[in-house]
Amino acid sequence: MDFKSAVTRARRGLREERRLYLVAVSSLTVAFLCVAGAILTMQNLAEMADRWGRSGRVTVYLRDGAQGEDVQRLRAVLEGLSETASVTHLSSAEARAQFLEHADVGADLSALPAEAFPASLEVTLVADAEPERVDAIAARVTEFRAVQDVETYRGWFDRLESLLAAGRGFAFALTLLVSLCVVAVIGNTIRLAVARRRQEIEVMKLCGATDGFVRGPFVLEGTFQGFISAFLAVALLMLGFFLLRPRIDVTFAALAGMRSVFIEPWLLVAIIVTGAAVGALGSAISLRRYLTV
Amino acid sequence: MPHRDKPTVVRPFQFFRAGAQSAANDDRPILVLDDVTKYFDADQPTLRGLNLTVQRGEFAFITGPSGAGKSTLLQLIYRKHTVDQGRILFAGRDIARLTDRSIPFLRRNLGIVFQDFKVVEHWTVFENVAIALEILSMPRRLVRSRVSEALERVGLSGRGRERTENLSGGEKQRVAVARAIVTEPALILADEPTGNLDPHLAIDILTLFEEINETGATVLFATHDHSLIAKREHRLISIVDGRVVEAQSGLSSWPGQRNKNNSGLHAVAG
Ligand SMILES: Nc1ncnc2c1ncn2[C@@H]1O[C@H](COP(=O)(O)OP(=O)(O)OP(=O)(O)O)[C@@H](O)[C@H]1O
Ligand SMILES: [Mg+2]
Repeated sequence: MDFKSAVTRARRGLREERRLYLVAVSSLTVAFLCVAGAILTMQNLAEMADRWGRSGRVTVYLRDGAQGEDVQRLRAVLEGLSETASVTHLSSAEARAQFLEHADVGADLSALPAEAFPASLEVTLVADAEPERVDAIAARVTEFRAVQDVETYRGWFDRLESLLAAGRGFAFALTLLVSLCVVAVIGNTIRLAVARRRQEIEVMKLCGATDGFVRGPFVLEGTFQGFISAFLAVALLMLGFFLLRPRIDVTFAALAGMRSVFIEPWLLVAIIVTGAAVGALGSAISLRRYLTV
Repeated sequence: MPHRDKPTVVRPFQFFRAGAQSAANDDRPILVLDDVTKYFDADQPTLRGLNLTVQRGEFAFITGPSGAGKSTLLQLIYRKHTVDQGRILFAGRDIARLTDRSIPFLRRNLGIVFQDFKVVEHWTVFENVAIALEILSMPRRLVRSRVSEALERVGLSGRGRERTENLSGGEKQRVAVARAIVTEPALILADEPTGNLDPHLAIDILTLFEEINETGATVLFATHDHSLIAKREHRLISIVDGRVVEAQSGLSSWPGQRNKNNSGLHAVAG
């Protein structure tokens, strides 16, 4: 019954202070949108890293003048390895054609000669090939006469991993910062709401209302603001993502050979729940300071 | 009528429950102030060793010059302030010793009315009265019937839907009175309830409090309006120099004029 009464009074408060709350909710939505955007970026980077990490690809670049039989021997050795799934030979001309197909740079690259693209053996590894084993194989393969260079893509992967770690740290810091902002904004909004409702607070106290009775609606109002802001942010991000996805995916396919992903459902729920919790916290802190009932 | 039990209102401190019917408490005074001292200023106590006993069902005026401490006395009873010395026994219980958490439960047994009404302007008349019952977690259905009953008693029946800010001063005060009586408190504290009203409205409100008193509630009515006091034969509690000086309302033998040479009520009642 008390909760019902608090809900009724909170709804009334939201209705009567809608201007105040509208301003708060719109700025909080932007704040939450930043967090959700950072999380979305992180998820896609993580997905990409995961994809690259597991895809296990090795490119063995061949010397320009490599003998056909040397290449054949090398190929046989590679195919004999238990880590190898398949080996394909890519000639200079094919490499050039493949590059031009994917490259979306403005300059006219069709003039590039085939020699600029070395022939290679593209080795696809079985899933869950150990990175250390791959490194050992690369080291051995380098010693073949026909081989100019071996690319395991480990450097890229490592760089992406460190980028990912930095990004996670950034997203975490951003979440903390935004939480502080939300606490401050909601705290301030509630402070104003308390000031505007001085009269009714006084009346309720004189009629024997407990602190909980007086504070309940304000906490609910703060919680609701946090909830609705986080919800709107998630909804806007979702809308934007699915509208832009076709375009994003072109880049993604070229870059990582995968589709972009959206934030996982449990994380979406977590964002909204966090929004509500931070809203409750903000109002509770504000009430402790400004509602000395 | 629905075949449901009448919901009972549970008050955490049953002890404070009103009720002239409560046999055990019948002979006990509802309010005893014993040697009460209150300082706002270290060398000038507002109340100094004040003694006062109020019996159940009494109607008493509290008067005294401006600044005498009439409001302070009432504020000590509803625990806006705490006494510096002495005891205040409400229904036998020392309210000076109540913890802050218990204050709401004390106030649920009081009905308080002020000079400035203290109604919520943007609420309806109904909401202003109902809040006192909502605080007691009373079921909605019961709230409706009790509120309309209270509004009827103060002469505002059928006006629950009106916004309070559109009411006249006298009507707003009636709303405040309805809010004070809707919980059927044992003790009603009125601090200059007619101060903002013109004389004939003042008499109306006074009469309203007297009618409430007739139903069993004890009423303490603070005022310095001597014309109002002169019209009625109620107990007169006058605060002079921080102490109580009593007089029956005959006014011929007015006490407490020892330090002023102008005679009569004006000297004390300001
Ligand atoms: N909260 C407070 N802080 C400091 N002094 C106070 C406070 N409340 C009352 N006083 C002082 O106590 C004295 C009594 O005040 P009180 O309001 O009780 O008088 P009163 O009899 O109700 O007067 P009035 O007829 O003007 O309403 C005054 O001198 C006042 O200045
Ligand atoms: Mg006063």
